[in-house]
Amino acid sequence: MEGAMTVPIDQLRQELLEYEFPPGSYTITEWQHWLTMDAILSPPLPAGIAHPIYAYLASIGGMGITLPQLFAAARSSAEAGVMFGEATLEFSQPLAVGATYRVEGRFLDVVRKQSSRVGTMDLVTFRLSLLTEDGTLAATSTNTFIFPRRES
Amino acid sequence: MSSDITPGTEIPPWHVAAVPAEKMKVMALILSDPNPIHWDVEAVRRLGLGESPINQGPTNQAYVINALLAWLGDPTRLRSLQVRFQANVYAGEAVTAGGRVEQVRQVDGERLAYCRVWLRKGDGTEALAGTAVVRA
Repeated sequence: MEGAMTVPIDQLRQELLEYEFPPGSYTITEWQHWLTMDAILSPPLPAGIAHPIYAYLASIGGMGITLPQLFAAARSSAEAGVMFGEATLEFSQPLAVGATYRVEGRFLDVVRKQSSRVGTMDLVTFRLSLLTEDGTLAATSTNTFIFPRRES
Repeated sequence: MSSDITPGTEIPPWHVAAVPAEKMKVMALILSDPNPIHWDVEAVRRLGLGESPINQGPTNQAYVINALLAWLGDPTRLRSLQVRFQANVYAGEAVTAGGRVEQVRQVDGERLAYCRVWLRKGDGTEALAGTAVVRA
């Protein structure tokens, strides 16, 4: 990911907008939900209702590709120091512990910027939708990841 | 509770006295997140990012949700949460999640409160900030 290898922004945008996420799904298991609640220091929740952060966790976990594969689609890698820029969670219905959600994903945009601290960086935005087994939209997670393009 | 939510209402602060490094390791596994900055101090140093493991962004976001849950008592009232990540939170740091109701509007027959929310570090730096929409 050195400067000499940074892909032109128009080419990267075209690659990402044409990218097809493979089919994926995620089940919010009770044991993993328990561990997550513990890890994020959650207050107690009503039985059966998943912590809302699962709109992110379930969509990322079920998007059909791994984070390294997502980074690779953006022509980067975990070692490049990828940062989280913005995140939006939207709920049509509460998420349920024990439920399985189908995940649909797509890249929305990429913007190249200059930062005094990071140098050249690409802000890649993608949206993941969680759908119930009957196809009803439950929640969306829209994320902007920042990919440093280190100049040599 | 509902009738008490008006513009200016403060979301009660929700504190973490010292962000635990051990929980970051669990979250790395739950997220299948291979970024070593969450458990490997050498990786954090190599990238010039500091001297301690860095909390995952989604965990910082979850702290803000925790403040909303503690306030509302009902997770089904959260309609949306938009945040911008502005600073790293390091293991051992104290953080406080909180917010304030900016507007209350009737939307599609539902009374919604638009809240500015944040996660602040001990020195007042905002690690993240954004907007939550909740059923008032």
